[in-house]
Parts: sequence; C-alpha cells; structure tokens
Amino acid sequence: MSETKESILKIKNLVIHYETDEEVVEAVNNISLDIGKGEVLGLVGETGAGKTTTALGIMGLLPDKVGHVVQGNIFLEGEDLLRKSNREMQKIRGKKISMIFQDPMTALNPVKTVGDQIAEVVLLHNHCSKAEALTRAQEMLAMVGIVPERYRDYPHQFSGGMKQRIVIAIALACEPDLLIADEPTTALDVTIQAQILDMMRKLQREHGTSMILITHDLGVVAEICDHCAVMYAGEIVEYGTLEQVFDRPKHPYTRALYQSIPSLDKDVERLHVIPGLVPDPSNLPPYCSFCERCGEKKGVCSKYDTSIVEVEPGHLAKCLMYSPSWKEAE
Amino acid sequence: MSDLIEVRNLKKYFSTPRGMLHAVDNVTFSIEKGKTIGVVGESGCGKSTLGKTLMRLHDPTSGEVLYNGEDIANMPIREFKQKYRSHIQMIFQDPYASLDPRMDVLQLVEEPIRVNNKKLSKAEVTAKAREMMELVGLAKRLEISYPHELDGGRRQRIGIARALSLSPEFIVCDEPVSALDVSIQAQILNLLQDLQKERGLTYMFITHDMSVVKHISDDIAVMYLGQMVEKCPSGEIFRNTIHPYSQALLSAIPIPSVHEKSERMILKGELTSPIDPKPCCRFAARCPYATDRCRAEEPVLREMKPGHQVACHYAEKFM
Repeated sequence: MSETKESILKIKNLVIHYETDEEVVEAVNNISLDIGKGEVLGLVGETGAGKTTTALGIMGLLPDKVGHVVQGNIFLEGEDLLRKSNREMQKIRGKKISMIFQDPMTALNPVKTVGDQIAEVVLLHNHCSKAEALTRAQEMLAMVGIVPERYRDYPHQFSGGMKQRIVIAIALACEPDLLIADEPTTALDVTIQAQILDMMRKLQREHGTSMILITHDLGVVAEICDHCAVMYAGEIVEYGTLEQVFDRPKHPYTRALYQSIPSLDKDVERLHVIPGLVPDPSNLPPYCSFCERCGEKKGVCSKYDTSIVEVEPGHLAKCLMYSPSWKEAE
Repeated sequence: MSDLIEVRNLKKYFSTPRGMLHAVDNVTFSIEKGKTIGVVGESGCGKSTLGKTLMRLHDPTSGEVLYNGEDIANMPIREFKQKYRSHIQMIFQDPYASLDPRMDVLQLVEEPIRVNNKKLSKAEVTAKAREMMELVGLAKRLEISYPHELDGGRRQRIGIARALSLSPEFIVCDEPVSALDVSIQAQILNLLQDLQKERGLTYMFITHDMSVVKHISDDIAVMYLGQMVEKCPSGEIFRNTIHPYSQALLSAIPIPSVHEKSERMILKGELTSPIDPKPCCRFAARCPYATDRCRAEEPVLREMKPGHQVACHYAEKFM
C-alpha cells in the first residue's frame, strides 16, 4: 500500500478471536488495511469470512466477554482506537465513525418516532436544543429523499427501502468522517437497492465521506467502491483498486468467485463450482486456509502459510504462487 | 412438445381488513414438460403465492390449473392429495425454517417417503432415503446430523432430497438459492440442472435474482403486483426487453465489472398497494413513460413476437 495517500483509518495486524468455554473461533487473522480520505473500500467475502467482525472491531462493539482483539492496532487519524476507554469510544461512535447495519427492520426503535431517533444522535454529540436537533433531523430526512414532514411517523409506517434510508440518515446526522455500511442493501429489492446505492454515491461525492462497504455482492462493489479487499477465513487474500481486483484477479479464490456467478451476458452450460466448504474458523489449518478448495494448488500449499505480498504496485495477494517456494516446487 | 402445466386466468385474492388483496391477478401461462419457467419480480409481486397456488397450498379464487389436461385447482383437496401431491413438489427458500430441528438428516429424508407410501417397510423406507441422500450429494456420515449442524448448502440439499423422494414430475422452487453464498449457490444450481436432465423434471423457478433466473430458465415471466407483465424465452429478455418494468429491473442489477457502466434507469417510489387496485396499468405510478391512457385502462398481455408476450399499451414503441 502506498504511504503517500492521506489515510483516515489504518488497521495493522489485527487479530480478533471469539472465545467460549469450548472453543476459540479465529474470526479475524492478522489483517492490515489502509483507507484513504474520501476512499470507498469494498470488503467482500462469504458468510463467516470475518467481514462484520472486522467492522465491529473498528467500532469497539465486539460482544462483551466473548470477543477479544488479541493483537494489532486500529488507528483513526493517528489515534489508536483500541486504547480508548468506553466513554471515549462513545464520543467517537456516531460522530467520527458511523455504522449502518444490515437489517433496517431491527436497527430502528419501534416505539420512537424516526425524527426522535435521528435527533437522539445529534443531541448526544452536539450542544444544541431539542428543537435544533429536530430541525437537523428533518434536514437529514430531506437529504435521503423522505418528506421532512414525516419525522413524526414511526418506523412501521415506512417501507423497507425507506427504513434503510432512515438508518442512513441516522448514521450521517453528525457528518462522520468514516461510514461503515454492513450489507446495506442485502435485504432490499434490486430496484430499491439501485435507489439506495445511487443515494450513497451522491452523499459520498458531496460530503467526501470515507466508506467501508461490506457486502457479498461483487456487483455492488463495482457500483460504488474504488478499492476492494477480498476476505476468506478471516484473512484478506486480495487487495487492490477496483480495476486491479476485477480485471486482473490474482488470488485463486477471487478468480473462482467470479466464475461461480451466473453471468447476464454470457451463456454457460454449467456454473463453475468452488468445491467443498469454508473451513471451520475454530479449527483453521496451519497452512493456506483456501488450499483444500483451490483448483491451482500444489504440494507446497499444504506445507506452509504465506503472508500477503505486493504483486503489482498497490495490488496485494496472499498466495504461495507469488513466493519463491512456488518456483522451487515446479 | 406437450404442456405439462397450463394455467388459465388464475386469481388468488386474500381478504384483508382494508379490502381485497390481489396477490395473483388473472395469470395465464403454460410450462412444457422438461422445461423451466423462471418467475421474477420484487417482493410482494405475488410470485410465491402463484407457486403455492399451483401446489394447492392455497385454493385459487378463480381460474384453472391444468396438469396433463386435468384441472387440479378445482378438484376436491382429498382427491388432489391422493392423485397429485407426489407429482408436484416444492423446494422452499429457507431450508432452515422448513426442516424440523429435532429430526436428523435421515429422518428428514425418510419422512415424506413414509407418509406417502404407507405400504413400504421400514427397511425399504430407509433404503430409499439413503438413495435420495446419495442422489443429492449428502454424505452417508451426515445421516445422524441435525439441521443446525449443517451449512445452508447442505440444508438445501436435504430440502431437495425430500422433494425428490416422491419422484415428482413438477417442482416449484421458491427462491432455493437466495439464502446461500455464491460458491454454494453454484453447487445447488448445478445439482438442480443435473437432476432435471436425468429425470426429465419440469421446474417453476421463483426468484428475484435475474442472473440466476437467466442461467436456469428456458422461459422467463416477469411479475408486477400480481400480474404477468412480460413473458418470453430467457435469452430474449436480456436482448430485447420490451416492458418498461422489465427494463428497469434489468438495469437495476449491479454488474460485477468495472467497465460496463450502462445508463441506469432508476425507478421512483416503490410498489403501490395490491389492495383493491384501480383498473389501470399497475406500473403506471412508477413508469417514466406513463400516459393518461395507462392511468385509465388496463393493458392486456399481447403477443408481440412469437413466444414473446407483453402487457403494455405502448409495447410497439419499446420494441
């Protein structure tokens, strides 16, 4: 990763475990990321890849007692978030970093009006009166395309797409520097998804907010991101600009992922299948975790693990085929 | 080729406190034996209700469903169950919600076999269930696992084994892959296609995912608020889409490529209410091309080209 860009969030060697009496789940394994100001990073991967855990780690919202950051640093504009107290994190959450959760139906409080819910964030982080906060709430509603007069309505009076807009309005009410959106459109229909993505793109352009977009849909990433990180079994296996990852995927997992998506413009008899399943995160192998399912593996793959390396400027991949031991095996 | 299923003017209304909800409104189509029809549309367009009505899980308000020429929609339910239940089966969206959590895999696959063939001995039922598990790719060691121990892909395989165990001819697949990750989705889609080839199955494939439906279907029907607005061969819809709603639906799909940035047609608003709809084009409220005629007169499904039907007053304009 180039050091020249002004970064807003820097994650270094982050390791997150979930520990229960029976087992240790290695959810995030030594990931490093650098998100520049105004950049939109797509974090892609299948269920259980550790995308959401990474986000919760950044927000300081890992489940109590069970979730632990074992190692690593998370710097927000140079300040290490992992050294902050709960009280300090509360000031950062909502003000500097906001998060949009996947399911808008459960993220909203059913017994409070949407206006109150937006105003709540504003009141928490700013010294202002209730009336001022409500005015701000109405501005926010207008910004996300909902008639401001509806601020007195309750969540159940809105449709799914509108609820997601309200959740976005809450997240953006204090103009955060970084927005983490966890599958913001997964629960929505495509035409509504197109509306929400269009709106997020506009907001990003107007306010220059940096974003981490978590999704399993490569199409959504192509829509609004400029960088893309592919996660597999708690690791980042590939990172680069959109062009690099989409046009010249370097990791076998990324390549296989593209082939398994049915294409709209090409006809194929059979879909390419990635055989097998994602490895159990409580029992990860000491070698490459994708090895068992990989179509390009060699003997060395089940012997060592490797670290992520730069395969072209700004384009990283974590695969033995880019290490010297691969050539020796040939 | 003969049609296995012929649906004629099928209607399913639900009575609600606010009025009649037109879930499926006057739908007519047919499915050839051994083929797949894909039914696409957004949530609330009536696609699942259509599937359930064909299965007789709902009784239709009016209309006919001919199965090999015999009307199965209006025959007494007892007769339907006796004669046709095993011919028509369904695979559900959420394999977790549709499986009894207290039964292990073998019991789950045995259940439909036992219930529908009372004459079979216990050993025969087990043998048949094992055969089904092998067919859908469930390893023998999983026999004693419970659904919560399995991943989504395997759970969906149980759902498929259960549906297939009665040797049906026609299967309604209601969003069978929507809950799965892409790599697992590909496995299940391939399995469904292999089974179709081997056993000459006929599918009705309900989904909201256009790329999945294009991959698996021979014909595609687009539904909007209970009505079929366009029906054509699957290749045709991506090359020569006619109905403005189908166009919008297609252009809304995010394409996983950095180069294809086609001009997007973003629809305003959301689905209007399906309760007591006015006699007009139901898409008119969101249609960028709507005229006074659209708001006053209901369009009928017309054949614009051989095999390509569209319900739009101005279909000629969009061809």
